[in-house]
Amino acid sequence: MSVADGHDGGGGTVGLAEPSPGRPAERGDVVAEAKGLDVFLTRDGREGHVLRGIDLEIRAGEIVSLVGESGSGKTMLAMSLLGLLPASASPRVEGKVNVAGVDMIGGDPARLEDVRRRRLGAVFQDPMSSLDPTMRVRGHLREVVDNDGDAIELLRAVGVPDPRRRLRAFPHELSGGLRQRVMIALAIAGEPSLIVADEPTTALDVTVQAQILDLLTRLCAEVGSSLLLVTHDLGVASQIAQRAIVLYGGRIAEEAPIDQLVRAPRHPYPAALLRSRLDIETDPSRPLPSLDGDPPNPGDLPPGCPFAPRCEFARPDCELAPPPLRPSAPDRSDACIRRDELDLRPAEVEVEPWTPPLVDRDHAALRADDLHVSVATGTLWRKHRVDILKGVDLRLDAGECVALVGESGSGKTTLINAVAHLVPASEGNLEVDDPAPQMVFQDAGASLTPWMSIRELIGERLRAGGVPRRERAERVAEVIAEVGLPPWVAAAKPSQLSGGQRQRVAIARAIAVPPRLLLCDEPTSALDVSVAAGILNLLGRLRRRLKLAVVFVTHDIAVARMVADRVAVMYLGRIVECGPAGRVIDAPVHPYTRALISAIPGSRGERIRADGPAPSLFDPPSGCAFHPRCPQAREGCAVRTPADQPESGSQQHWIDCVLAEDGSHDGRG
Amino acid sequence: MIAFVLRRVVAMVVVLLVLAAIVFALQEISPVEPVRVKVGEAASKSVVEAERKRLGYDDPLPQRYLDYVEGAAQGNLQTSLRTRQPVASDIGHYLPASIELVLAALVIGVPLSLLFGIAGALRLRGSGVLRTVLFVLAAAPAFLLGIAGILIFYRDLHWLPASGRTSIINPPTGPTGLLVIDGLLRGEPNVTVNSLEHLVMPAFALALVPAVAVGRVLRGSLMANLRTEQVRAARARGLSRWRIVSRHGLRNAAGPTLAMGGLMFGVVFSGLTIVETVFAWPGIGLYVAQSIPKGDFPAIGGVTLLVGAAYVIINTTVDLLQGLADPRIRKDL
Amino acid sequence: MAAVEPILRPGFRPRRRGRRGYVRLRAMPIGDRLALGALALVTLLALLGPTLAPHDPLSAAGPANHPPSFTYPLGTDEVGRDMFSRVLTGLQSTWLAAFGVIAAGVLIGGGIGVIAGTLGGWADSVLMRVTDVFLALPPSILAIAVVTAIGPSLFHTLLAVAIFWWPYYARLVRAETRSLVVRPHMVAARLSGAGWWRRLFRHLLPGTFPTVIVAASLDISNLILLLAALSFLGLGAQAPAPELGSMTAAGLSSLLTSWWIPVMPALAIFVLSLVGNLSGDAIRDMVERG
Repeated sequence: MSVADGHDGGGGTVGLAEPSPGRPAERGDVVAEAKGLDVFLTRDGREGHVLRGIDLEIRAGEIVSLVGESGSGKTMLAMSLLGLLPASASPRVEGKVNVAGVDMIGGDPARLEDVRRRRLGAVFQDPMSSLDPTMRVRGHLREVVDNDGDAIELLRAVGVPDPRRRLRAFPHELSGGLRQRVMIALAIAGEPSLIVADEPTTALDVTVQAQILDLLTRLCAEVGSSLLLVTHDLGVASQIAQRAIVLYGGRIAEEAPIDQLVRAPRHPYPAALLRSRLDIETDPSRPLPSLDGDPPNPGDLPPGCPFAPRCEFARPDCELAPPPLRPSAPDRSDACIRRDELDLRPAEVEVEPWTPPLVDRDHAALRADDLHVSVATGTLWRKHRVDILKGVDLRLDAGECVALVGESGSGKTTLINAVAHLVPASEGNLEVDDPAPQMVFQDAGASLTPWMSIRELIGERLRAGGVPRRERAERVAEVIAEVGLPPWVAAAKPSQLSGGQRQRVAIARAIAVPPRLLLCDEPTSALDVSVAAGILNLLGRLRRRLKLAVVFVTHDIAVARMVADRVAVMYLGRIVECGPAGRVIDAPVHPYTRALISAIPGSRGERIRADGPAPSLFDPPSGCAFHPRCPQAREGCAVRTPADQPESGSQQHWIDCVLAEDGSHDGRG
Repeated sequence: MIAFVLRRVVAMVVVLLVLAAIVFALQEISPVEPVRVKVGEAASKSVVEAERKRLGYDDPLPQRYLDYVEGAAQGNLQTSLRTRQPVASDIGHYLPASIELVLAALVIGVPLSLLFGIAGALRLRGSGVLRTVLFVLAAAPAFLLGIAGILIFYRDLHWLPASGRTSIINPPTGPTGLLVIDGLLRGEPNVTVNSLEHLVMPAFALALVPAVAVGRVLRGSLMANLRTEQVRAARARGLSRWRIVSRHGLRNAAGPTLAMGGLMFGVVFSGLTIVETVFAWPGIGLYVAQSIPKGDFPAIGGVTLLVGAAYVIINTTVDLLQGLADPRIRKDL
Repeated sequence: MAAVEPILRPGFRPRRRGRRGYVRLRAMPIGDRLALGALALVTLLALLGPTLAPHDPLSAAGPANHPPSFTYPLGTDEVGRDMFSRVLTGLQSTWLAAFGVIAAGVLIGGGIGVIAGTLGGWADSVLMRVTDVFLALPPSILAIAVVTAIGPSLFHTLLAVAIFWWPYYARLVRAETRSLVVRPHMVAARLSGAGWWRRLFRHLLPGTFPTVIVAASLDISNLILLLAALSFLGLGAQAPAPELGSMTAAGLSSLLTSWWIPVMPALAIFVLSLVGNLSGDAIRDMVERG
């Protein structure tokens, strides 16, 4: 073992030993490192300081998580390790990045290609755009292995069922989870020393997410690779990582073993992140301790600590210069000048609990009886009807909030669209006690017409709501302030606002003329964690003040628990379980609900799996739609007709399953 | 897959019929009385009317259209008013010269557009200068290129001849009709050399605009393809630069590039009429150019039908090839 | 500990995401700025055209075949007419004709595209099939045939070209419309209570502008070359009208003796086409960035 170049970094880093070809890195070797890394990228003609003074080390066999929100630079750091900074952004780099002893920044391109082939593996967020749609799986695999036998072995190793047949498939013919498995197969083919995974599970359903994370950890252990997991979600990180590096505004805020970080953070940012983080344990009776403001834009960084503008502990000298990263223990370091004075352990938060919402049980805001919605697809010649909603019964009282929970294909978005009268019902009854229900969309930016000012957008709603012209300007200012935005927003256009600000604007538009029913379609899924908490608090506040009935669609049960009075779990077009939020989530009965809940990071109890691929709407299973994947399926499930929801009492905990019917679980009532 | 091919072929036939209908309708509109051409200016009215009846000119319109299409399919493209010959034989007479010119233009144009596209996308050394020069030249109308060429290479430098196809008195009317090849086949290399000299300028003038247009599409498409996540993932796997450019870049860029190539065929034809006029090249372009001032619609209509049909068939073929290469296109269409 | 009310702290700087909207002129690369400047200049020349001409383009002003000189900057032709005046007049004719045809193409094609894109279904299918048929036909060849049949004149030529030019815009606008119609902001506008008319004009149409503007500006040069080619073949305005293409054709016989006679008008077309190309690229850069 020779010391390749004996540079001496501030922390006394060991010089890298270059492993001879074929010899895997031994435990303790440094596999990848960055020293004093500064990256500048040019976008729209302006240069942004995307990464600042990064020092990083990954040793053999480690699982490290890079945690950060948008603008933190986490993806660019991962790209730097791969040597793949986007040429279109004219990157300027200072400092060093070495992987397996090779300089990934200034190195010879042929050597870089060699390192990427034999030492590195990469898994990206969206497998659909990472794979060549015109090339079959076999073609992809044959680029990294020499024969079909090895290709099949790889597919088997990543858990692709029926690998021989799958070789001939095109990427678009596979499900999201399978595509990601193929990406992982491609990544481990060279038995790499380091796998870089950039948000590998973000685009997947919750039940598949857990499978993929398991797969990654298992493979790394078998092959002996290290794993760098880049994610915005501390929950995902804490599931499999040993060590976490938290990035903010292009700098490392804190670095620590993950359990220590979660128990006792030393930098205000991870502390705030942990506090505003929503998981299944969060107390729903109080608003979330949220973080004001938005994550910084790399082109627009403040002179001092990047977190200072949002930090409640900020002092004037925090804004003078960026705090250096200092170790506080052999395996911990952080970048806060006040860390020795602060006690940031999550303590009992003295936040005023919510006032209970006023629900009017005598009036129904929404009533759906055996609602069916089907859509026609296909060409002019061959038409096809697909049933998206197959007999939904739902009743919502005035002032009540119900959360529709489900994965993709469950029909939750179609249900909310039907309530908004955007899609017609093909069968059944739908009564909505609001002539103009308002909706908040998942992608706030896309829901605001880009070339119209906020004032015009809200004004449009006021006009339709019958507000006379002279009162409109005042009302616009009023409602903008109500959602917590400064007055200048009224004259701005959506592209000038951040994601969180846009969502607040969308909410302002929705309540400008207060409706009786508010529909929310995953309003926080696309937002950073620190921003999402503020939005949920806002919705909670507004809902109580304006006595709104709310239908809240989400795939995230933790969010559902936080906002809703009742939860309805949907699967393939039907509601399979429905009842008070606390009961459904703490004591779920339907096997699908139980699988969903146990897949969430941090949930108690053993993991209950839903095996197999997600079902297809075009070819749904007979009887109970969940039976092919259900661990408790029995005879009769395949021919079972769905039960009707009981007429009386929307407060009941109702389950559509044989387990409830034959009393093997306490079900109704 | 079969459905896709069938659909495209049916669409092609429909377009061809519409093309024929348009040419037919235009023929009806054009003011020249075709029967008079046949029987001569001095014929009496009754003779003209009898002739009209005999040739079917008094039949109802749809019937005449069908007759016209049937005739065209069998190679009857009416008679030229100017040459008094069947248009089909005129075309046969002039076509080989044009084919030779177009082939020469392809030989110049294809490498040019590949160079423009690939070098430009990969930003190889010198590509910027090349691109600027070609870009500027491509804005020039074909006749300007031709005229400038004549002034520089003929008048000033005396390197190349100014007009015509060959300076040799009795050129072989050999097997292919292409002098360059016929010269070699007949063992008369001086014919070949002479033809090449005559070919250079017109071929270049003809090739430039389409080559640059296709090159631009190739460059844009290649650059866009090299920036995708797909290529980023491929590079992350350590695939060689060459393989990425050819397999992941070029293959996906081939589609739009070929599509543009097909469209350029139309531009080539209008360029042909002009270049052949400037260089007095005896091809169908010149034939058309000479027919216009005489208002010889049958000649023009015949050429339009032929070239238009070729255009439609070529573009349909490109579409089919694209569908073969990219399975997603098959699904969409 | 942590604030619950999401009111931003007093010292908090308002976020501005940088200048969006159409990029200010100062930020553009110099090449683009020059191109747009040239565009403005040429348009000005075209509009003023004949008024700037020192002599009458239609009648003899001096000795025949006089080479370019101070009095006759572009020389005189074989009849003695001042080339400069003729070229200026021809410039106006060509430039305005090109704009006219493109405008017609955008309005007609765009209109059809919007109708097809918003109505969808049966109307969309019919309109698009018709459009596809027209798109499949070669425009230049058919324009020649049409004009020969109905008689050559400037108006006929423009008409013939416009007939085959609009389908491109119809397809383009229809595709844009279809993708815009399903965007969330259209749904949001509907839920906000915006009426059908307002949704179409305020929420949908402006979204098509960038694509159409870019396509049209890149198209100008193609059109100029086609019109010049048709005129060269004798299909535009008839002699003695000074149209650049026909002037070149008529002057061909004088190429080797008085080269300026065919070359000057051809150069003018070259300049127009080049300016069109460069400013088309500049406009596209501007729109893409903004």
